Amino acid sequence: MELSVIGNSDFVTGFRLAGIRKIYDTESIELDEAVRSALEDDSVGILIMHNDDVNILPESLKRALNDSVQPTVVTLGGGGDSSSNLREKIKQAVGVDLWK
Amino acid sequence: MAVKDVKPTRSELQALQKRIKLSKNGHKLLKMKRDGLIMEFFKILDKARNVREELDKAYEDAVLASNLASAVEGSIALKSASFSVNVVPSIELKNTNIMGVVVPEIRGSDVHKQLHTRGYGVVGTNAYIDEAADTYEILVEKIIVAAELETTMKRLLDDIEKTKRRVNALEFKVIPELEESVSFIKLRLEEMERESLSSLKKIKGKSA
Repeated sequence: MELSVIGNSDFVTGFRLAGIRKIYDTESIELDEAVRSALEDDSVGILIMHNDDVNILPESLKRALNDSVQPTVVTLGGGGDSSSNLREKIKQAVGVDLWK
Repeated sequence: MAVKDVKPTRSELQALQKRIKLSKNGHKLLKMKRDGLIMEFFKILDKARNVREELDKAYEDAVLASNLASAVEGSIALKSASFSVNVVPSIELKNTNIMGVVVPEIRGSDVHKQLHTRGYGVVGTNAYIDEAADTYEILVEKIIVAAELETTMKRLLDDIEKTKRRVNALEFKVIPELEESVSFIKLRLEEMERESLSSLKKIKGKSA
């Protein structure tokens, strides 16, 4: 399986340098479309995105990303908001905010 | 099951008592499963938190190194070097089982590469690009670890929630309703017994 990256060209260049080839540059493809095709691609195991990009997605896609296990979505950057979804999930399931 | 839908018969009473016993057993087992899942969750919680911190730090380092390389060498040169990397990192997904919850075990390969195996020319590029490539490779390694832990946590949390709902449904809905039906049948049967006894007495009184 492969890793995949969605983001603007500044964000994806570094990952390209690390050898990742399944890259969706949002300057040449719409963000929604890129996310949809990455989620449907069976060969993608991990999907890397920037938090700011995730935040501008429509709610349904955001939910699909949060719930997706394959590919697993890892978000980076965006002022330490990366773990907020997991935090919400913990609060909902355990009842206490343990991600402090 | 609403009380009014229950037939007040002995066979129904026996069937309900069997169901109560089964529900109580299930409730006990599900409670144990929920506690076990929460313990497993606590085991990986600290690990996941640390990995997330390391990941954020690695991302900052990688962005810094990439910006530096871009400033020194120019963004075109950086992009050109990035397009010539030909060793693609891959991941292997294996499934492991934690108390009935299938969680992934992710192993990465070809993530961290030697300088000469990256694919771009050593002469045409400088150390800043190597540094940027290095930091991004470290970042990808951290991403793989974080992906495994965060997926495991997501799955465990989903299952904890599901199990919690089942436990609560059994404890506060199913078992109390069944017990209510049992007590209704018992009362009804006793009443029927009293009715038949009094009618027998009446018949006996008439015939005497």
